Amino acid sequence: MIPTFLGSTILVFTILQLAPGGPLEQTMIQLQMGGMTGGGEAGGGSSSLLGGSVLPESALKELKRFYGFDKPIYQRYLIWLGIWPREIKHRDFTIPSGKAQVEKRVGKRDGQIWRVDVSMDEKGELSVFDKDGSPSPVWQATIDETHEDGTREAVIFQQEYSGILTGNLGKSYTYAKPVTEVMKPRFRISLFFGLIGYFLSYIVCIPLGIRKALKHGSSFDFISSVIVFVAYSIPGWALGGVLLVLFGGGSFWDIFPLGGFHAPMEIWEEMSFIEKVINQAHHAVLPVIAWSITSFATLTVLMKNSLLENLSQDYIRTAFAKGLSEKRVVWIHAMRNSIIPIASGIGYIIAVVISGSYFIERVFNIDGFGRMAYQAILDRDYPITLGFLVVVVLIRLAANIISDLALATADPRIRFK
Amino acid sequence: MTNTKQRNKHVSISINRRRWLKFKGLKRGYYSFITIVAVYGISFLLPVLINSKALVVQYKGEYYFPAILDLIPGASSYYPGTKFGQNVPGEANYRNLKKEWESGTDNWLVMPFYPYNPYEDITTEGNKMYEAPSRNHWLGTDNTGRDVFARLFYAFNISISFALILTLINYLLGITIGGAMGYFGGKFDLLTQRVIEIWSSLPMLFVIIIMSSILRPSFFLLIFIYTMVNWIFLTYYMRAEFYREKAKDYVSAAISMGQRSHIIIFRHILPNSLVPVITYFPFSVVGGIAMLVGLDYLGFGLPPPTPSWGQMLAVGLENITKWWMVFSPISAQFLTLMGIVFIGEGIREAFDPKVYSRLR
Repeated sequence: MIPTFLGSTILVFTILQLAPGGPLEQTMIQLQMGGMTGGGEAGGGSSSLLGGSVLPESALKELKRFYGFDKPIYQRYLIWLGIWPREIKHRDFTIPSGKAQVEKRVGKRDGQIWRVDVSMDEKGELSVFDKDGSPSPVWQATIDETHEDGTREAVIFQQEYSGILTGNLGKSYTYAKPVTEVMKPRFRISLFFGLIGYFLSYIVCIPLGIRKALKHGSSFDFISSVIVFVAYSIPGWALGGVLLVLFGGGSFWDIFPLGGFHAPMEIWEEMSFIEKVINQAHHAVLPVIAWSITSFATLTVLMKNSLLENLSQDYIRTAFAKGLSEKRVVWIHAMRNSIIPIASGIGYIIAVVISGSYFIERVFNIDGFGRMAYQAILDRDYPITLGFLVVVVLIRLAANIISDLALATADPRIRFK
Repeated sequence: MTNTKQRNKHVSISINRRRWLKFKGLKRGYYSFITIVAVYGISFLLPVLINSKALVVQYKGEYYFPAILDLIPGASSYYPGTKFGQNVPGEANYRNLKKEWESGTDNWLVMPFYPYNPYEDITTEGNKMYEAPSRNHWLGTDNTGRDVFARLFYAFNISISFALILTLINYLLGITIGGAMGYFGGKFDLLTQRVIEIWSSLPMLFVIIIMSSILRPSFFLLIFIYTMVNWIFLTYYMRAEFYREKAKDYVSAAISMGQRSHIIIFRHILPNSLVPVITYFPFSVVGGIAMLVGLDYLGFGLPPPTPSWGQMLAVGLENITKWWMVFSPISAQFLTLMGIVFIGEGIREAFDPKVYSRLR
């Protein structure tokens, strides 16, 4: 599990870091265009920088440092993981030619200006001392560049270990907030729809599948099969689009809102609790239908085929031969075996619910988890992109475990050693 | 009649023929198969069916065939308007030519069945953007005044071709690698399995989006990206199957006869483990088409102005008052996918030796 996690993150990390048109280049282009902002177009920004850059050298260095591009890629990955020190609170300063010690202001501590002394030994190594002469426990310094006249550009910084392993997913470039903070509300929204859609599809599909199996070949089976085929042939988000056109008030009926998680904030705040619940449900109807349709067809068919197969087994004939009632044979004998494949599919469906959300959230204009990731890819917001990846990979690994547990519960023949 | 029937009973037919006969008996699947194959075949002739260029032009005693030249790759079908005495910049406008030549000239031309082209901007002819369906434009026009009906059909061809090529490559890779893993086992198996494990833990769609946002895909690049993340699903099955088959006596016999590995893999084992793979093929194609539409919808698919259902949907869903922009691509996609699902269902049933008995 851990190697898998590391492997997959290394892979995506490398792809992102080596890709042209990264955040660094995008910011540079934006700066050069005179503050002309406007989110990158889809797939855009693969243009290489033309000729000499207009940006001054120092600003470029600053940018590189901000995005962490001043380090080799393996260090960037280890920093991101949190097992390599991250350099923070950079401050540039110069050491004049011939001098071996300078004083540097490094901000405030206990309400007073904090100064440290930086001294250089013969080899050019810098060490930082507090004002009382003891080596500084937090500050470190390195020389960046030595000019011809002997002056040196140096940088003083603090080090800290913080990354995925310490729960720090970094800071988003576009939102300028910690990634976890950006993710939390959006994940909750996606979870809301995902879980409702998930339970709904189980509640509908299992009884439907059972009924279809028991009435195999009847007109009920035929009609519901048609519905299942329709549901299989149309992706959930596309059906969502159809529903939106039909019921969203564009050309036909105006029954449901056009999108969004709930009413706009100004209206939302003034609602009473009951109004909020109604409003939320009103907004949720169409997305939830779209959400649950993705697993509807597969689940129903799986349930039906599994029960059908069991009903044609010898042990069912034996049960009938013993004179048991049909009810008992179907619900006690056949069902216990038929539910096994459904149970093992639980984890898989969780993963599907998550990945389906890119589209549905975009169709219904819901500011959810999938849309956040989609936007992050467009904006080259790497911390969010990677954070999303971490969360999804973890969910998938968890889903596998849930699947195994569910399977073991449903099938007593399976034991974990 | 009874005579032939009786004789048939004694003739043993090959398993594949029996499957084919059973498939033919399943009307829903069989007719879907015929329809889809026929429409796909015809869709290669689209340049002579749905095109703004004339099929035949007779001008001053000479014949020109612009639309037919479109069918031949590499041939130039470009005729400037001045060539036919038309005062327009750039290419000749054959629809206008036809009107001009209706009376009083010996010149004539034959337009294709549906005289609009999926790429042309027809706003210059007084058509508006977002025109509702009418007699001229059966399914209306889109945000840049292109004909929706024409684009729909061209997109059909592209979608199916895309999904077919994709699935074939996926199958080729999946079967070869999965088979080799199961057959050779050992270190190769272990190493490949680790790679697959890592790949499969990634959210595929996410990876595809990242890659296409970086690479700006063309038709084949998109297939390449999609294949890279999607060849995996077959390897699981093939690997297990090859492990099981390799332990059987006929393989041992082949090995002891000194057969080469690739002959054992492809001639001896593969035919024995192919049935589930074949039955899954149509569903794989369905997945490919759905994925292409999805990517196009997100803007990470085929580059514009390629006709695509996903791109049309994206336009439609931004202006939901323009219902034809939503309904046409969704219906097209839906009908196509449903047809293929029916085929898949038919094939599955034809290959399935089991007969479900009813209750009791």
